This record gives sequence, C-alpha cells and structure tokens, in this order.
Amino acid sequence: MSLSSPAIALSSVRKAFRTVVAVEDVSFEVQRGEIFGLLGPNGAGKTTLLRLIMDIFRPDSGCIEVFGRGFQKDDKARIGYLPEERGLYTRQRVQDVIEYFVQLKGVPQAQARTRTLHWLKHLDMLDVKGYRVQELSKGNQQKIQFIATVAADPEILVLDEPFSGLDPVNVRALIQIIQELAASGKTIVLSTHQMNLVESLCRRVFMIHQGRQVLYGDLGQIQKAHSENAVVVRSNAHYSDCPWVTHTMANGRGTLLVLKENGRPRDVLAWLLETGAEVESFECAKTPLEEIFIKMVQR
Amino acid sequence: MSKVWVIAKREFWVTVTRKGYIFAVVGMPLLFGGIFGISFLTSGNLEQSIKSGSEPVAVVDRSHTLDFELAASLEPVPESPTAATEVPQKAAGRKPSRIVPYTDMTAAVRDLKDGKLSAVYLIESDYMSTGKIVAYSPERGIFSDLAPPDRSRLYDLIRASLVKGRIDGETRDRVLAPGRLKQMKVSKQGDVENASDAFQKAARFFGPFSMFLLLTMSIFFSSGYLLQGIAEEKQNRVIEVIWASVDPMELLTGKIIGLGAAGLLQVALYASMLLLPAVTVFALFQVSLTGLALSLVYFILGYLLFAGLMAGTGILGNSPQESGQLSAFWTLLSMIPMFLLAPISESPNSWLARGLSWFPLTAPVTMLLRITSGHIPWVDVGISIVVLLVSIYLAVRGAAKMFRAAALMFGKRPGVGEILRWLKEA
Repeated sequence: MSLSSPAIALSSVRKAFRTVVAVEDVSFEVQRGEIFGLLGPNGAGKTTLLRLIMDIFRPDSGCIEVFGRGFQKDDKARIGYLPEERGLYTRQRVQDVIEYFVQLKGVPQAQARTRTLHWLKHLDMLDVKGYRVQELSKGNQQKIQFIATVAADPEILVLDEPFSGLDPVNVRALIQIIQELAASGKTIVLSTHQMNLVESLCRRVFMIHQGRQVLYGDLGQIQKAHSENAVVVRSNAHYSDCPWVTHTMANGRGTLLVLKENGRPRDVLAWLLETGAEVESFECAKTPLEEIFIKMVQR
Repeated sequence: MSKVWVIAKREFWVTVTRKGYIFAVVGMPLLFGGIFGISFLTSGNLEQSIKSGSEPVAVVDRSHTLDFELAASLEPVPESPTAATEVPQKAAGRKPSRIVPYTDMTAAVRDLKDGKLSAVYLIESDYMSTGKIVAYSPERGIFSDLAPPDRSRLYDLIRASLVKGRIDGETRDRVLAPGRLKQMKVSKQGDVENASDAFQKAARFFGPFSMFLLLTMSIFFSSGYLLQGIAEEKQNRVIEVIWASVDPMELLTGKIIGLGAAGLLQVALYASMLLLPAVTVFALFQVSLTGLALSLVYFILGYLLFAGLMAGTGILGNSPQESGQLSAFWTLLSMIPMFLLAPISESPNSWLARGLSWFPLTAPVTMLLRITSGHIPWVDVGISIVVLLVSIYLAVRGAAKMFRAAALMFGKRPGVGEILRWLKEA
C-alpha cells in the first residue's frame, strides 16, 4: 500500500438482498490513521457497508479497495472487525475465546497468548480470564469482544457500536484506547449512534440513510454548513447595539447572536473590542451533530 | 500455522470434550454393556427358572400313553453335546429324568404353586384322537407366557412311548432323531468345503456387521456434530466474527478435518475398548485386509459427503433444532440401505444393492454393508468411489456458497428457489 492511497475506498457500491436495496451508489474514502465516523439511523445500511468492507458480503456493483487495491484473501488478517451483535463462544473460557480469534488472524499461538493477556490486563479484565464468557456481564462481554478485535494488532479496525452496553467509566477508557490506537497509526472506522462520541473522536464522517449517502466529509465543515450565521458570546456588551446582529437568544454557553447575511464573526469581534466590552468567550456557533443527524433523517 | 489447522484443532478439542461426545464414546458402550450384562444374567435366571429350571415337570397322563421308564433314557449324556440329538439305548451316566409322573391333578397343581415343580402337563384321556395337552406353569410375568419348560422333552417321551414295541433299532432311532445335520458350502468356483461351526458363523456375520454399524454410526455422529456446531455459531453470531478472519471454504475445511478426526477417534476408541473386544476380534478375523481398507475409504468418503451436506443445511436454520429438522432429509435418504438390510445382506450383488451403491447418498452405507456381506465387483467399487468424490466436491462447494448467502440471514428461512439461485451463483 502506498502511503498516499486511502486505507479503504468505496466507489459507486450497490448491494441488494432479494428485492431490498441495502446500499445504493455509495462512495467514500477512509484515510490512513484517521478515525472515520460512519453514521446512520437503524436500518440505514451501516452494517451492510461494514460487511462489504470486510468481504463478508460482495457488492452487486461498484468497487471496494482496501490498502489501495481490491480485497485480497490475506487482507482479513490485517483488518479487525467488531460486529454490532456480540459473537462469542459463551460456554468457553474468556482467554481461550480471545486466543482463538487472535489465532484466526494468523497470529502464532504463543504470541496470541501474550497479546491476550496484555490486553486483558490493559482493560482491567485479567481476573476473569478463566471465567466462562456467559458468566460475565453484558458490558464485560463487550470488552472481551473488543479485546478479541484489537489483540491481533490489525492495521484497520472496523468497530460497529463498540460502546454498546458499557458504563460511562468504560466508555471513557475505550475512547482513550481508540485514540491511542489512532495515534499509533491504526485506521479506525467507527459506527455508532452516540453523536457526542463521534464529535469528540472523528474528524471526518459519512452518513447513510435509506442506503444512500446523505453526508460525507470534514465534520467541522459539515457542522458549519448546517449552522446558522451566528456566534456564541459571553460578555457584558449590549448586543442589540451591534450593527451585524439581527436577534439574540440565550444559549447554554452564553448568548447566541444571529448575524445579518453580510455579517461575519470577525466583524462582531471587532465591534466588541471597539466597545471595550469584557469578553469571556467568543466562538462561532456550530450545530450539534445530533441535530444535523435528526434533521437529515427527518427530511 | 494455517487458519484451517487452527480451526481443525479447536473443533477437534471442543468436540472431544463435549459431554455428548464423552457419553457416546464411554457411556454408550458402558450402557450397552450394562444392558447386555443384565440381559445375560436375567436370561440365565429365566432359563434356569422357566426353561430348564432345577424343579422337574409333572405329567398327569389320563390317556395312559406314556411309558415313564423311557424318560431317563432320553436325557442327554453330560459332556457330550453332540449326542444331544441321538437316542441312546442305555441310561448309564445320565441325569435323572426331569419328567415326573403324577396321578392326581390337584396334588400336581399344589406342588407347582409351592415351587416344587416348574410345570405340569395334563394329557387328556382323548389325547390319541385329539392330541390335546394342557400345560400349567407358574405366573412369572410375560416370560411365563412363552413356551412352557421341557416341552420338547415331553414330546420326545411321547414319541418314544408311541413307537415302543412297534419299531426297533435304527428305525426307532431315526424316528426319534431324524438327522444330525452337517452343512457343506459350495463356492462360486465349485469348491466344496465344510461349513463353519456356529461360532464361526456368528463371527462371520456379527464381526463385519458390527464394524459396519460402528462406521455408519460414526459417519452420522461426526457430521451431526458439524451440523450442530455450525447452527450454534450462526445462532450466537460467532460466524460473523470468524468470517471476518477466514473465508467460508477455510472454515468448512477446518471444521470437516477437526470433526472427522473426532469421528475417527471415536471409532478407534470403540474398537479398542475392553467392553467390545469381541467386535474388534471378529472384525479383524472375519474381514479381509482389503475389506477393512475399503471400509475405511467408504467411512471417510461417507463422512466427507455428509459433512458437506450437513454444513450446507446447518447454515439454513435459525437454531440447532431447526437445522436438525432440515438435515433429517439427508439422514432419511442415507438410511434407506438400513431399511433394506436383509435383501442387501442376502444378495450383496443384486441390482438393488448395486443401484444403491451408485447413488451418492446411499453409496457409503450400502458399500459398507456389501463389504461385510461378501465379495463385490471392483467395477462397483470404482463407480461408487467416483460418484462419491464428485458428490463430495459438489456438496462442499455448495455448502461454501450457502455459507456466503445464508450465514448472516436470520428470521425467514430461504425457499427452494432461492437456495437453487445461490447454488448457481459463482
């Protein structure tokens, strides 16, 4: 794989089951080392997309490339996949299950054991290594599934709802691990309904609805494109005097100033400084991803 | 280490540590051994208490037909089993007669009730014209309804009494014991040989037949484990995780090797178990090396075919139970030779047997059975092996296609049309 080629690239991909079209004309790229968000409501086609990337399904038409070329048999060892629904041998012991899944990625047995124990320790799960999977809580089973995905040290991680069933403490721990993995060069495709986590983890996103693309690109730009021409200010100024402001609204982080069509945030900032107001905070208003998500789905 | 080997190793280990497998390997022979042992002991008691119990039988002869003095001469000479069918002239060295004359029916029935007699026979006064005899035996469950004890002894005594003084010597002997049968066997080449004795005959049948049963059972046990394993993996969604690491063909190959090894181990353990030494000995002594080798070939081919079919079927169901119901189709078809056991065993080279050998689903069981029943033409061996190899290729390839299409399909079961479409797709 050349360093410039994307880790994953989909081009005009279509997939139908019987008469139901699950994915239609979908194209996007995931760059190396990024955390890429895959969004969409239930039944939108997210899981189908992930299974297409994993070569579990084959597209009816279009092209899918990983590591800069068509999917090769050995690529499965280089991509870790955490499916939305937990898939574990519930009657077997935790360590055995993880080791088996790691070995299936081509890791030798001894190394699989070392990595399994390392990750169990890393997620504070070492004391349950001898438990049967079915004896663990839902959240702990999710952590086992996550370990089974990352312990083989794949270059790409495809994570479908990785935070499902986790408490806030474990969610925070997992976020940190995902960030560490990305920082170490791993490419991560993250599919989740938790928009706040997407905002804090992903720089770029793709949103699918009814099998088709509805949003794709830089998250900041998407939010900006879906935001009003407004700023959020916390100061002691009288905003009604500002020539660029049409109206104001209370906002959790200060006051939302909706600007005239030709008004720019820098004009408002200049006016604030000119008036000698004490400015505690000043930011361009961004529509939360959740609002964009709901707006796109309900459109 | 290849992924196929990783899968095979796990499947083998998980299977041989399953409770069901351990029960099948250890528990079943113990269970059958136990049942056999109890039956043996019980049958011994029955024989003693009903058929030839220590208590004599009473005969109340109202027709005055019997000469009870002849009774002792009809008892067999101990330690000379072959003489059992002869009618010796002297009573020297014989056991005392088990037939005791009674004149009073009431006394006889009382002694029967008190356990002093094992049966009472009443020969009616009109016996010569009607042949009527009434037998009385104690109430001892269903076995007491079987033939009353010492009936043949009584009949021998009646025959001896009827011919006494009318015919003598050899004619009398032949009336009482018409023949001592010696069996000869004529081979297809026209060679005439002594037929085997009873033990050899039993061995010739039971040895190979036991091996046939063992191998047939192992085929279905092993492919059944495969079916169950795949259905479970679909149900608990593990299949998606595995599939993200291996392709369907690797998964199937690993499973088939691992479970086939578990099946072979099962056969080996059965054969080596102390509880079944007779089976092993019979099989080894009564089946030729060629037959033994061919049996193993058909075991492996049969297993591979049914493994492919079970895998393809197992993935269609939404639960192990549903998959099991679907697979019953293959099991029933393949068991046809079992229903036709008698005609195939008696005529292993009949057109029925040959036809079933050429049909892939019935070929393994039929050929295993025919091997135990006699010499079979090599052309049949060749045809059945080719048919099986082609069928195995198609079954495993079809199963891999089913995996790709149905492994992640939950809820509604696919129809026949849809399955055929999947099989046609590349």
